[in-house]
Amino acid sequence: MTTDLTDLEKTLIREKVKEKYAQAAVSPAGCFCYPTGIAGLRQLGYPEEWWQDFPPALLESFLGVGNPFSLGAPLPGETVLDIGCGAGFDVAVAARLVGPGGRVVGVDITPEMVTRAWELAALLPYRNLSFQVASAEDLPFPPQFFEVVTSNGIFNLVIDKEKAAQEILRVLKPGGRLLLADMLLVAPLPPDRANLIDNWYQ
Amino acid sequence: MPGEALLALFEKVGFQRLYLAGYTGMKSSPYTEGALIPGEKPDLSRSHDTSRPALAPLVAKPVPTAPPASGGS
Repeated sequence: MTTDLTDLEKTLIREKVKEKYAQAAVSPAGCFCYPTGIAGLRQLGYPEEWWQDFPPALLESFLGVGNPFSLGAPLPGETVLDIGCGAGFDVAVAARLVGPGGRVVGVDITPEMVTRAWELAALLPYRNLSFQVASAEDLPFPPQFFEVVTSNGIFNLVIDKEKAAQEILRVLKPGGRLLLADMLLVAPLPPDRANLIDNWYQ
Repeated sequence: MPGEALLALFEKVGFQRLYLAGYTGMKSSPYTEGALIPGEKPDLSRSHDTSRPALAPLVAKPVPTAPPASGGS
């Protein structure tokens, strides 16, 4: 499902999304219409015992649209992939939940976000997490590698959603779980906004 | 993308136990809202595991209706 976008439009969307999130990596304030940071965590019901000892900069970086772990938290020892990890808040939560016997990998298409995630992870006591630049449409992992795949607010930004869904299925182990939080269209766009490229990254 | 379309996309590629668990109240515009969707990759080795609920049929079968109870007032 790539819609009817031209290659030029796809490139433009990818670059604009990267540009927006590169800015958010520096300071998310004002980049989004919904609460971010601690206000967002509280609104979404992330238990405080999961994050109260995280560094303030990591809390401020939270941009999620839901709490995917409310669908079923990863278990100790599990291997977790977070697609569109941003500055790494959900990766840090998952690293805490899976414990030292588990492993969490965060991927993001924005190099600035991955750099920021590594910087913030250095402030955490966990050594079971890592980050890399990668696209949901081309995950650099072998088949059946993860027990859990999470994603929080980025699937709507993926251009080839069917390819991304196939990739998630490929890297999950049989019986593996998808925990997805994402922006959905809940009302028809007005005619003057439908099919606007800007809809992808505003 | 509407929720129904996203669920259909994941079902098409092979996920199961998909559903829209609820909306989160996070709105990026008057037309979009955050939502939660879980899913699962099928485990064929567990296809005969009766401890797990069976998959819902893609097309609902008619449910036989019980005859009306007799003796009621």
